[in-house]
Amino acid sequence: MNQLIQFSSSLQGYLAVGAILFALGIFCVMTRKNAIGILLGIELILNAAGINFVAFSKFRTGLIDGQIVALFIMLIAAAEAAVALAVILRFYRLKQTIDADEASIMRN
Amino acid sequence: MSAETLHNIKLFAPEVCLTLFLCLLFIVDGLIPKSRTNKVPMMVTIIACIAAVLLTCKVGTTSEAYFGGMLVNDGLTKFFRYFFFFTAAVSSYVAFGSSEIENRSRMEFSLLLICTTIGMGIMAGATHLLVLYMGIEMVSIISFVMAGFKRDNLRSNEASFKYLVFGGVASGLMIYGFSLLYGLTGSLNYPQITAYLSSTQGNLGLVFWLSLVLIYGGLAYKISAFPMHFWAPDVYEGAPTPVATFFSVGPKAAGFAAFLRMVLTVFAAKTAEGNWQMLPGISLTSAIAVISALTMVVGNLSAIGQTNVKRILAYSSIAHVGYMLMGLVTLDRSGLTAIIFYLIAYCAMNIGAFWVVGVVSNLRGREDLDAFRGMGWSMPVLGTCMGVFIFSLTGIPMFSGFIGKFLIFGSVIKSGGFLWLALLGVLNSVVSLYYYIKILKSMWLDKPEIAESLTLSPYHAFGLVGLAIPTVVLGLYFTPILEFAERTLSNIL
Repeated sequence: MNQLIQFSSSLQGYLAVGAILFALGIFCVMTRKNAIGILLGIELILNAAGINFVAFSKFRTGLIDGQIVALFIMLIAAAEAAVALAVILRFYRLKQTIDADEASIMRN
Repeated sequence: MSAETLHNIKLFAPEVCLTLFLCLLFIVDGLIPKSRTNKVPMMVTIIACIAAVLLTCKVGTTSEAYFGGMLVNDGLTKFFRYFFFFTAAVSSYVAFGSSEIENRSRMEFSLLLICTTIGMGIMAGATHLLVLYMGIEMVSIISFVMAGFKRDNLRSNEASFKYLVFGGVASGLMIYGFSLLYGLTGSLNYPQITAYLSSTQGNLGLVFWLSLVLIYGGLAYKISAFPMHFWAPDVYEGAPTPVATFFSVGPKAAGFAAFLRMVLTVFAAKTAEGNWQMLPGISLTSAIAVISALTMVVGNLSAIGQTNVKRILAYSSIAHVGYMLMGLVTLDRSGLTAIIFYLIAYCAMNIGAFWVVGVVSNLRGREDLDAFRGMGWSMPVLGTCMGVFIFSLTGIPMFSGFIGKFLIFGSVIKSGGFLWLALLGVLNSVVSLYYYIKILKSMWLDKPEIAESLTLSPYHAFGLVGLAIPTVVLGLYFTPILEFAERTLSNIL
């Protein structure tokens, strides 16, 4: 138990969480058919990077720059989500579905 | 405001100027009445671009890092600023002659175009991972909107949707790669990252290579290089043609600028002769050669079976990225000079070719090969210009594309070691002739189904001839451009 607590407050612990989030995000993007699901996967990937930045900034450099990057990542994620939702909404109006597999008029 | 801040803002002047024009455009939009032929946004965009070019001339003599080393103003930034402002001005001219950009949304189009141009300028000058990321996202997120500009068109929406999903994943991969690189080197600044990487003497662990692959994923998406190229045909086909015209040149060149700067200043160091050398333990030249080869082959082979001309040009633009990457494997001045020449030639001929497609698709409502039937006979100026662009894209002598390819293949052969790559490049050019010539065959040799009299408006004729002239002239007289490229490269920080 003690080891677990120690691990959870170490750099490795944070990096492990980041890596797991990243892997889940990739998995989510690859397997989801629903456009919103894919969007959530992208958010997971971005936040995995955010966790890494904060952890490295705390344990590795001791500077604040990594934490600032994390803030900017949140900002970008919000901007991207806003555009993505608008696009998905319009797609839904035209096609009555948000299934990503339905986006297939253009094929080789 | 301190003197240093003022000086920094002065170096950032072209982007600041565009931002001010952006605000001006908002105000102008409210003042002018919405008439049917409203060309005011285009005028403002072009004036903004001209002002930005003049400011670039003014700040371009110095070569220094500014804003605390986050951005850099050197030869490469200067060249790419000229390139982006020119591309933005021409794209807005193209867009305002097209019926695909509806009159009611022309103002928004201009706003988005100027925004993207600011982002591209930031990408070209970034020497800080966060600034690079912000620049890339500024370009990407606005590009998603531009791709879906025909709001009630399913194809346009689909293009936007695909662009968004792939773009989101690619930038996610890239920022995760940045976080690993930051953890490894302890800094976000290029010079400090380079200092750390050279101090390790090549003892870099798996994490470094993982971060490199992830960062490449993000940048390859922007320049549409293998293996992140598959979005390009779908997005170019679905997006309005003027937008595709812009995408195939502007954001792509911006990605290329970021890629060049990263390879040259982070993973390589300048040698005494003015060439570059990879840091010990990080030899990426073979990797770049393989990527270049795959990008060319995939682009050209996929283009062969296509019937939609926009798709053909999309695949061809992928292949051209392969040729350009080839100039990077030599890591010397001749290779980089060739890349810069190629970018200039590519800008004129590719915008021209897409523009012709846009004109035809406005007339016929579609852009497959059949829509081009007999277009050369009914509109000789259009047909001739398309001939010039297509010959130049193929790399036939007497046109600028040939000189570009000649310089790139020449530099690769001269440096030795990558002969197979140059050979593959030549083979690819031959293959590309097959699908390019199909377009010209359709325009000049096939008879139209119904005889019709079409006229090319002077608006389009002026622009197309204006792009065809440099395409021909640069194929015959190119010394000034080479000298300009040499000057550009002589002061890369």
